[in-house]
Amino acid sequence: MSTGSSSNACKLLLLGRCLRAVLLSAGIQFQLLLVFLLLVNFQLLSPLDWVSGTVGLICSWYTWFASIPLLAAVVVYGVSLCQQHLVERPYCPTRYRWILHYGPRKLFFLGAHLLVGFLTAWLYTGYLQTDYRHLSYKCYGEDCISGYHVYMLGMGLTAGCYYFVSVHKRQEVSIKFPIVEQTLGEKLRELLYATLARSLVRSILPTLSYTMVFWILGRLVCQRLCHILDVNMDERMDGFFGVVSNVKLLFYGWLLTAQILSNMHLMRSFYGILLCEDLPLVITKQKAAFASEQEITLVSCLGVFNVYVVQCLAANYFYKLAMRKDSKQRAEIFQLTEPGNRPANWRALCDQCLVILNSFTDDLVESMQKISVLKGAQNLPLPQTIDSTSTSIMAERLLLRQYNQLHGIRQIASPPRNVAMDQPADGIRHMPNWCERVSTQLEEALHRLVKRVPGILYLFSEPEGSKTNFLLVNSQPLVYVTQALAQICAASLNEDRYGVVQNDLPAIVKAINKLRGELDKLNSVMGNLRAPSSEFNVLRSAVRRSLYTICNAFCDYLGDLLPPGEELHQLQAFIQQE
Amino acid sequence: MAALSNLKQCPPFSNLSDLSHRHNHIPELERYPRISLKNDISTNAASHRYYGTQSFVAVDERVLKRITRTFFDGGFWEALAEARSVKSREQAPLVAQVGDWIDKFLGLAGGLKLRIFPHTQQLSGEVIAQFVETRDWMNSDVRYVAWHCHYFKLAVAGVDDVVRIYSKNVKQPIVLKSPTQTDITCMAWRPLCSGEIVIGCRQGLCFWNVDNSLHLGRANAPSQAFRHPSNLPITSMQWNKDGNLLATSSIGDRSIIVWQVDNRTLQSLNRLGPPGGLIKWSPENDWLFAGTVDRVFRVWNCNNKWTTERWVCGPGGHVQTACWSPCGRFLLFVSSTEPILYRLQFVQQSMLQASAEEKEVLPIADLNACSIDANQTLIGGPAQQLAWDPHGNYLVVTFKATNCIAVFRTFIQKFDLQISAAYFLSGETAAEHPSFVCFQPLNKDNDRSVLTIAWSSGRIQYCPFD
Repeated sequence: MSTGSSSNACKLLLLGRCLRAVLLSAGIQFQLLLVFLLLVNFQLLSPLDWVSGTVGLICSWYTWFASIPLLAAVVVYGVSLCQQHLVERPYCPTRYRWILHYGPRKLFFLGAHLLVGFLTAWLYTGYLQTDYRHLSYKCYGEDCISGYHVYMLGMGLTAGCYYFVSVHKRQEVSIKFPIVEQTLGEKLRELLYATLARSLVRSILPTLSYTMVFWILGRLVCQRLCHILDVNMDERMDGFFGVVSNVKLLFYGWLLTAQILSNMHLMRSFYGILLCEDLPLVITKQKAAFASEQEITLVSCLGVFNVYVVQCLAANYFYKLAMRKDSKQRAEIFQLTEPGNRPANWRALCDQCLVILNSFTDDLVESMQKISVLKGAQNLPLPQTIDSTSTSIMAERLLLRQYNQLHGIRQIASPPRNVAMDQPADGIRHMPNWCERVSTQLEEALHRLVKRVPGILYLFSEPEGSKTNFLLVNSQPLVYVTQALAQICAASLNEDRYGVVQNDLPAIVKAINKLRGELDKLNSVMGNLRAPSSEFNVLRSAVRRSLYTICNAFCDYLGDLLPPGEELHQLQAFIQQE
Repeated sequence: MAALSNLKQCPPFSNLSDLSHRHNHIPELERYPRISLKNDISTNAASHRYYGTQSFVAVDERVLKRITRTFFDGGFWEALAEARSVKSREQAPLVAQVGDWIDKFLGLAGGLKLRIFPHTQQLSGEVIAQFVETRDWMNSDVRYVAWHCHYFKLAVAGVDDVVRIYSKNVKQPIVLKSPTQTDITCMAWRPLCSGEIVIGCRQGLCFWNVDNSLHLGRANAPSQAFRHPSNLPITSMQWNKDGNLLATSSIGDRSIIVWQVDNRTLQSLNRLGPPGGLIKWSPENDWLFAGTVDRVFRVWNCNNKWTTERWVCGPGGHVQTACWSPCGRFLLFVSSTEPILYRLQFVQQSMLQASAEEKEVLPIADLNACSIDANQTLIGGPAQQLAWDPHGNYLVVTFKATNCIAVFRTFIQKFDLQISAAYFLSGETAAEHPSFVCFQPLNKDNDRSVLTIAWSSGRIQYCPFD
């Protein structure tokens, strides 16, 4: 199966899961409504009436019809989430590019948040007292605008907006594999309890902030609405105490915010949980006539670079099968083809993993060249021969120079110039003519001018380390692939009867060691970057452990695997505890 | 069922006074560090603890200023104590009176809270000592000993809250000491790393990067520190084989926490029942054993959606100690009250569909006390700690009330385990008892089972086994 067809087959599978997530999201609306109604209609003295009345309300025709708009909004929300999970994630070097690419999608998603928030508020206010229920109510025999209703609707919009800004504004949706893999029922139960409990606290700040804003601007909004609807003003919400002293209103607002935040968090988590389920992958396709044509191989899935989720799932699958010593699929990797006796399974898997590893390392090296501190360090003259005893002193000096460069500390003595570089080969020094000089000066002046215009630099320049940041954020497949590959290599000592792995060991060790070296370099400047430290730590730790696993397993044969040289010394020092 | 009375048949190691004449003596042992914490720890361990504020001399301040400063230095409770101190009472009786009222009110509120949530009470040292594997944890010079999985590095935690790291051929140990690391209960070196050690203590978890090139042999601050979500002390922990997950438990918490240290995330394993006690991963990460402070203990199947099996041990006790066989098929444990060694068998799922109902706990050794020599020296009783050698040939048992160590021979078959009494070990004096025992892991430099015994005198002894 080619990568394209694998990608489509996987997308189809994931689409089914997204559909299940939408259904779950729709179902949870009724559960959340039940919780809200139980809290709002609480009756201490007649608990049976309280429960039966609430359940009756949930099962009523009104609820089913009134919840249709909210369910439609939930579907829109789900479609947006699904699209973000399955779409390709290109790197946007500048903010302008980011806005161009992600702006419309983010705007649409913001709209979905506002819609869900508003419709939740509208649905929930329908179950409250009469003066909360409609936009206008009868006061002193005349129609008045209901300040309470306006407050609640505004609260819904604010809660939706708050969730979007705090969670989705800059971050891309991504799946996080659970630390402990439990059954779906257990996961959902834990999620539900934790979300409801957390949102009660999380909703305090937005409720209070919105109340303050409503106290200041609420009157203006109400006046505008009165003018539009041709009704009288509601005088209950006048003044600071009119808003703050209404405990019932604040309680309803807080509860509504908590429900909306829970709702959105649950919908997001459902996608995460369902998409994290294992893909039905195989190591090698069945050749029997009755075998399914739709079988997706691990290798083809690992090669789906354009759908991040698919690659993550494949890498996680590979990691899990590599960690299980009694796994049949792990044994399949070492098997030879029949007929032909070729190690096709291993070769394809190893090649794919090395492609992932090497392309990531190359991208990382390229991105690190744009980081000024590292760029400076790379330009620094290094001694021709590095004595093993003075390596630590050299590293210390290098770090000192990097530090000086970072903080603009100049050397007292001017650095020794490389004479060979300054002098042209033919010995004739090139003097720019007036035209070149003017052109250079003009260019520099233009640069300076453009930089002075506010926003230009912000929008059109690439922030330092942004590519590195992007790579690290999307490094989850690499974390799994590296560890799995190392585990397979270590297991090959006992399980690889035909010796299919041994030819590729040097390439694997070199690839992982190269990545380790680059990550160690990056580690020295991580404090200066905006890169996410947790992703970096996870990757660095995984790469180091993987290298250790291989080197520890093959420590007696390292000399046979690698040619004598710096790399072999490095690895021997690495396993002999630095 | 094996019994301790058979120990008489075998000569104890310590009968031979000269080290070189012992049949199990190996020259390599000469290079092991000679450790005696008694010399390092003075009689008053608390006086050696490090507190930053001790370096400063107090000056005369006004009451309010003093209270404010104390608040910012030590927090609310210390500020309240300062307000109620004798000095403050003399200088500003009104402030002290207000302090008394606040203290009274908070005391009432705290009492009420403890009545409703009794499990939230502060865990004292005595309570911790009851559930850790170290014997006489409160007063023992050595509180924990941990070997590195791959290198010759031995971490020894002392009663002075200092961890000393000993290496081969290095005379001066590396010292790990921090004010945020008190009442050390457990330690673990991270697998597949050269020098990462995590220390479980009252404040939570302290992670240290131990490097041989540490200047002056002393590190001042842990590389990172994690607190328990409920601010409880960590009482047991263990890394999994791959070094990516760390399971911890606390005797005040009803869940086991599994940490992913690199990205600072955690996940709770609920449904434990009573608060958690002991934690032990099986060698291949297939199972996670978790004891509690009550009769209940659980075993999670890590390969099958973390499903759990619930077990109950003998009446009135809790699982005192447990250990997995090197093959991961057998779990041995003892209750805190019964002097019986139990076995739980975990056969491969593919061979036999074994569920909790099919499995059974089998008693395999009687640990009732008996005398071992003419002086009526006793050995046995309720067990304190178990340690199984990495080759799977010997099982070491220490006891709560008697001072000798029992060594059993074990023979592991695919579906069976045979055990018989072998040797006993005793200290240099009759009063010396083992505080903590563990085996040195096998690695490329060490293929021999070396038992490491931390005696109550602060002495560390190494006993190689065949």
